[in-house]
Amino acid sequence: MTARRLHVEPRGLASTRVTLLVPILSVLAALALGAAFLAVTGNNPWNVYTKMIDAAFGSSRSVSETLVSATPLMLTGVAAAIAFKMLVWNIGGEGQLLIGAVFAAGAGIALGDGTPAAVALPVVILTGAVGGALWAALSAVPRVMLGTNEIITTLMLNFIALNLMNYLVLGSFSPWRDPNSTQFPQGRPIPEAGRLPEFFHRLDWGIFIAVAVAIAAWLLIGKTRWGFEVRVVGDSADTARYAGIAVPRKIMGVFLLSGAAAGLAGSLLVAGILGKMDPRSLDLGLGFTGIIVAALARLNPVAVVPVAVLMGALNNAGPALQSISVPSATVTMLQGAILIFAVAGEFFIANRVRRRPPATPTALVEEGAT
Amino acid sequence: MNESTFVLTAFAAIGLGTPIVFATLGEIITERAGVLNLGVQGMMLVGAVSGFWATFKTGNLLLGVVAAMIAGAVLSVIHAFSSITLRVSQIVSGIALTLFGTGLANFIGRTGTPALVGQPSRVTFEPLLTSGIADWPVVGPLVFGHDALVYVSWLVIAAASYYLFHTKMGLTLRAVGEDPASADAAGVEVARVRYVHVMVGGALAGLGGAYFSLALVPSWQDDPIGAAGWIAIALVILASWRPWRALLAAYLFGAAGRLNFTFQTLGVSVPANLLAMIPFILAIIAMIVLTSGKRARLLGAPAALGIPYAREQR
Repeated sequence: MTARRLHVEPRGLASTRVTLLVPILSVLAALALGAAFLAVTGNNPWNVYTKMIDAAFGSSRSVSETLVSATPLMLTGVAAAIAFKMLVWNIGGEGQLLIGAVFAAGAGIALGDGTPAAVALPVVILTGAVGGALWAALSAVPRVMLGTNEIITTLMLNFIALNLMNYLVLGSFSPWRDPNSTQFPQGRPIPEAGRLPEFFHRLDWGIFIAVAVAIAAWLLIGKTRWGFEVRVVGDSADTARYAGIAVPRKIMGVFLLSGAAAGLAGSLLVAGILGKMDPRSLDLGLGFTGIIVAALARLNPVAVVPVAVLMGALNNAGPALQSISVPSATVTMLQGAILIFAVAGEFFIANRVRRRPPATPTALVEEGAT
Repeated sequence: MNESTFVLTAFAAIGLGTPIVFATLGEIITERAGVLNLGVQGMMLVGAVSGFWATFKTGNLLLGVVAAMIAGAVLSVIHAFSSITLRVSQIVSGIALTLFGTGLANFIGRTGTPALVGQPSRVTFEPLLTSGIADWPVVGPLVFGHDALVYVSWLVIAAASYYLFHTKMGLTLRAVGEDPASADAAGVEVARVRYVHVMVGGALAGLGGAYFSLALVPSWQDDPIGAAGWIAIALVILASWRPWRALLAAYLFGAAGRLNFTFQTLGVSVPANLLAMIPFILAIIAMIVLTSGKRARLLGAPAALGIPYAREQR
């Protein structure tokens, strides 16, 4: 097709410049496409984009809100990054986050008032991570024991988790529901001792936990023997098997850690800004946005942090657009477009495209590099 | 007789199942070519809004259907380009398509004045027959009481089944999904076959979306299709990549969607949220029981599903 005019050859290892340039160009391309679309539909792109920047970074309060939105995305981003790195297609971050919130709120409510913060806070937060890991296990165990494709099971578990969470607060009088909210069902607040302190407007200490988890994940994958073996499995399960790596155990471990990270996102929301399991504030697609974050960060857990801030900024800018009569869905559209360009950009990281074939047939030499 | 719980439930199941029939069939055709497209939800939403918009502007249902199919097909080209030409991750590309399509549909529904959102439909698909044979007991409503698109869905399922298993082009399609290298060696243009069938799948997903906005929901709302696109992806597996089974599976899920109401009429109280889980729980159980390990091949999963094909790597 294009082979007559363009020559494609595998790059082998791409330079840092290319791996940085491609994600940045992906964002710019999505913004350009968005601008064209806004202009066609009769909106002024300049006004929209300046409004978005102002809403996301214009004041110390808006910077704080952007970081508040970024915190769970760092964790769902790490969850997707470590799983995808190993070709474990956990697209259930959404459900694992929600179950994390259910577990965290459940722990807080069970502890009740009078528990010291030194006990309550770690218990609430860790229970959420355990919840996320258990929800991931529902897909991980069949995958490892029976070879069941995890794409569909993780996906379906998202909807089961959503309905379960809604049932606990909106559909029943469970312990998760605030008994004082008779007219409009709400989550029951967890004790103050289980809450993360705020330090910058509404921003709480959860962001430090999220950043620490991202760094820990980077160290684990990049600097330990365990992480090395995970990367070998991601490159080639056959090679890993020949090298004597216990592939099923690696898959299980990564899957559960991925679920725990997503579950932690849920518990940080409960222990942080929400203070309760509030179904309406949790059903925001944070798990799916985490997949965008991971892809744009090229599955690097540390790069997830700045990318999550960018996506958090976009999420925060959405509602502000309504004040200038622009649909908040602009933001979802832009995020989708960013992901489309980012995933397409992987081609340009893996391959070099030239106008004519090089003098020496390097393509043949580097054949196996993809 | 026609007012019995069974007839009412079955009739509703066919109505609620029809958009999923179209979308599931579209994904079956796409996957038969060896391409996994997780963008069904996005393509359905864009189809739904395009169909609603075109019919709202023109008052013509046929134009709405055509607009929805074109919109779905155009969106699917993005996925085709990523997964066939660029050969990047089909899973992430499909999710990208869903996110983009969801944003695009809600944007179109809310931009301009007056915005589409909240607007009632000017025309909707209505049952073709309302008396005569449609009044016969049981078979009257269940066979003769539907709108045109339900009959179209039956025709399309029959045509797709014939195409897949009884034509040379269908054989070529299955060869491309099973063993693209051999198909290529036999002179088949693998990329072209894949592009065409991804686009057919997109058009059918768009049509399924339009069934929501032109038949089931008589006004435009944000996200009018629920999780139908994701259910369709699960049903492809339950239907083991076969069109007639897709029809059956979609109706079963339509019935599950109706169960809440049915239980109420029977005086049984089951929480709506728990009922809403049933389709997804069934899909997971079916996944585990039917498709684990080697059984997936026996079921008919295309061997090259999700694997990009590059001629150099032969």
